[in-house]
Amino acid sequence: MPLGRLPAWLLLAPALLLLIGVFLVPIGWFLVASIMELGTPAEIWEEVDAVLFSGAVAGALINTNWIGLVVTLLVLVIGYPVSYALSRAKGVAFTLILLCIVLPYFTSTIVRTYAWMVLLGRNGLINQVLLGTGLISEPLNLLYNRTGVVIGMTYVLLPYMVLTLYAAMKAVDMRLLQAAEGMGATPLQVFLRVFAPLTLHGVIAGVLITFILAIGFFVTPALMGGPSDIMIAMLIEREVELTQNWPAAAIMTVVLLTVTLILYGLYSRFSGALEGGAKP
Amino acid sequence: MSGKSIRISRRLLVATALAAPVLQSRVARASGEVIVRTPGGVYDDIMRRHVYDPFTRETGITVRPVAATTAKLFAMFRANNVELDLIDTGNGQLITLERMGALAPIAYDSWRWSKPEDITPELRKRTQVANFVYCTVLAYNKETFANGHPNSWAEFWDAGRFPGPRMLADMAAGSPNLEFALLADSVPKNQIYPIDIDRALRSLSRIRPHIRRFWDTGALSAQMLSDREVVLGSIWNGRLQTLIDRNAPLAYTWNEHMIQVQALGIFKDAANVAGAQRLIDFMMQPHVQAGYAKELIYGPTNEKAFSLLSPEEIARMPGGERSRQTGFYQDVSWWEDNRDRVNRAWSRWVMR
Amino acid sequence: MSDGSVALEGVTKRYGSETVVAGISLAIPAGEFFTLLGPSGSGKTTTLSMLAGFVMADEGRVLMGGRDMTRVPPRGRGLGMVFQNYAIFPHLTVAENVAFPLSVKGTSKSEIAARVAEALAMVKLTGFETRYQRQLSGGQQQRVALARAIVAHPRVVLMDEPLGALDKNLRYHMQVEIKDIQRRLGMTVIYVTHDQEEALTMSDRIAIMERGRIAQMGPPREVYEKPQSSFVASFLGEANLLRVRRDGPAVRGPGGSVLVAAEGGLSAAEGLAFVRPEKVRVESGRAEPAPNRLTGKVLHASFLGNIVRYEIDAGDGATLLCDAANAAGVEPHRPGDIVTMIWRPEDSRFLAA
Repeated sequence: MPLGRLPAWLLLAPALLLLIGVFLVPIGWFLVASIMELGTPAEIWEEVDAVLFSGAVAGALINTNWIGLVVTLLVLVIGYPVSYALSRAKGVAFTLILLCIVLPYFTSTIVRTYAWMVLLGRNGLINQVLLGTGLISEPLNLLYNRTGVVIGMTYVLLPYMVLTLYAAMKAVDMRLLQAAEGMGATPLQVFLRVFAPLTLHGVIAGVLITFILAIGFFVTPALMGGPSDIMIAMLIEREVELTQNWPAAAIMTVVLLTVTLILYGLYSRFSGALEGGAKP
Repeated sequence: MSGKSIRISRRLLVATALAAPVLQSRVARASGEVIVRTPGGVYDDIMRRHVYDPFTRETGITVRPVAATTAKLFAMFRANNVELDLIDTGNGQLITLERMGALAPIAYDSWRWSKPEDITPELRKRTQVANFVYCTVLAYNKETFANGHPNSWAEFWDAGRFPGPRMLADMAAGSPNLEFALLADSVPKNQIYPIDIDRALRSLSRIRPHIRRFWDTGALSAQMLSDREVVLGSIWNGRLQTLIDRNAPLAYTWNEHMIQVQALGIFKDAANVAGAQRLIDFMMQPHVQAGYAKELIYGPTNEKAFSLLSPEEIARMPGGERSRQTGFYQDVSWWEDNRDRVNRAWSRWVMR
Repeated sequence: MSDGSVALEGVTKRYGSETVVAGISLAIPAGEFFTLLGPSGSGKTTTLSMLAGFVMADEGRVLMGGRDMTRVPPRGRGLGMVFQNYAIFPHLTVAENVAFPLSVKGTSKSEIAARVAEALAMVKLTGFETRYQRQLSGGQQQRVALARAIVAHPRVVLMDEPLGALDKNLRYHMQVEIKDIQRRLGMTVIYVTHDQEEALTMSDRIAIMERGRIAQMGPPREVYEKPQSSFVASFLGEANLLRVRRDGPAVRGPGGSVLVAAEGGLSAAEGLAFVRPEKVRVESGRAEPAPNRLTGKVLHASFLGNIVRYEIDAGDGATLLCDAANAAGVEPHRPGDIVTMIWRPEDSRFLAA
């Protein structure tokens, strides 16, 4: 029987079973079991209250959102022109740009992050060059602070934005741009009135996916951040690993999961628009 | 935290109930193998040379070291799916596991190679026995401090006299250096515990502007010192010694170091409890301990092992006589009781 | 731009080693409906792109209203344009689409509103202002494109296969409307198509393009009836092209028949005689020996409604198409009938082979 005749649910079944088996069930088990062991609803509420309104979680949530926001904006600003170049490039140029973007994914996060340490450290390459040229007299603190976290995360997340924008830009009919030009628009007007609106849904989807990924970040801020750059995922890891306070970890996980799911709902709306072509 | 013991027993109930329908996936293993949780890395190589391989030659039982985080050990036990036999980890984690009822008693009576009475009494417990001691020392860069270096934590805190970026341990490393913060705040060594968390954090706030980073792993602490990201810091002596042996311009003071303990425990539901008991017995022998202690530069726990070391080696051994005079033992049971509380206080403090 | 005249002087465009447009020169007076007609790859779209400014000529000059526009970008040329696939902006409403050429120039809101209303009225789309592209039929999209091209009252409008995507009926309607609007506004239209019927219907003049050159240029009737090459003859409508050779002073075709043509003497020893099917008269019986009279046998007779098309074997491997009006009282010939084909010398030309 040709694959096309099978009902969609049957084709999805293996992936769905895998998702349920290795992801939903364990995470559900973890959340329910951990929170249940607190006891009565009153006791659970007491712990939820204690966890959510402790300064730590509030602080981490503020950090998480702020870092996520800054990184997302940076990734957008850097990614937009790169995506444009990628969407217009052909042949070798296309392969080269794409390779530069995805190549980092062939190395592990740890190796990549250590490479950043070599570059950004107090005695790292960048500081040595800047000191050598006399541009600065004291080494810049590029690592173990928020700058470091933002640099590291921007780098890791760039491909997600670029590939999302690429899809949106590739779908733009180039003849529309030429038409606009023919109707008297300047290059800036062509961009602002035609290209930007036609790729807006891509921008929104890219921003959401980047932000969703950013707020779950753990390794990069842990390795490249300073003492106060604690994001919510790090706090969860600490509760699980260090203090074995699984209920607290579960409560924080629910918070992160809720935020992520809400954003994901928005994302799927806009990525749906991406597939269906531009909608006003 | 008073509710802790209640919580743990309740946690046990939940875990057992939930684990019941889970398929018993424990694969029947030949009794010819002991699986050990270790810190991994170079440690495994050294232990293989001095302990595991000689043990296999002697008994025919092979030893397989595996990596596992503390959380994974807990999860294994809670899911009733213990995949390893022997746990070689910090004594604090073993205390928690013991409180959960996860550990089998150490069978001191059936020891054939080692004598229980040779082991330092404080390090010989019902369900755990220490295999070495190490310490967190005050390290400095010899080039930066060519004309005098800080000799105590009070001097470490004196950024005016000893300027430069420095580091201390993070909560994520297991425990932050609250002990040193109290010593810097002129608390006497014998009055550190119970730790006044607020006072320790207040003291830490004073040095914080000069802290480049709180380290969370041994690897990071070593890297920051060797890359000169910092010129002063707390670090495990073994990690530091490796750098010094590679001619890094680093040194440390023996004053006010914190002695910590690595210990062995056995999962009571392990597939090869008997093999694990024999491996502990084998590891405790004076000549075996002297062999790995010398290479790790961590102190042996069998008192007889010291006689097999040279005076220079003894001089730099944690837990040796000189070390015990100038340093202090970390109180792990205080940490096990208070880690939750410290974690929250620390998270709040660090994000300020 | 003072008036709507357009000229190309020796314009050439190469892509790599390939010459797409080879030294084209033409002059279009203001208000003319000028069509570039040719098969795909003949260079007509590239020529239009050079007029629009999307493509820069390698050689030669582009003049508009007497001014040299060769290096001027599209927005400096002040042209109206209708694109092959309409190029309606999907994120804008009909009104916003039509307003686009005005709004990029910073025209005042009130003037835009008035001009948009006027342009939409002209294309009969009043009431569709707030719709989006996906809410419009193909014909409506075409009208939007047209309204957008004329909204700024350009002197010259370029149209690139504007009706290519429409069905036949709609196409005819739009041809009439475009022509009507062009006449009313008095604008110059330069129109690209590969549809010969469309070109003949709408144009004041046609330029037939072949491999980057203009094969022939002139009013539709002239180009149709007096082709200067076998390419033009056969590209534009049906044509009989009979192999002929010189025999002393005479020119002989199939079966040694003598053929004469009013224009275009045979320059070489061999050539082709051109005559349109509808210019051939078919009668029963064998031909008398006279010029432009051939005897043949009917192979097929196809009934096409208003005409009957015969395919007639004239011997020597020559087959002619002949169209006879389906007029009252005329009895059609049947396959196998022996017939005579007759045409006037002024309906025939000799062309190079």
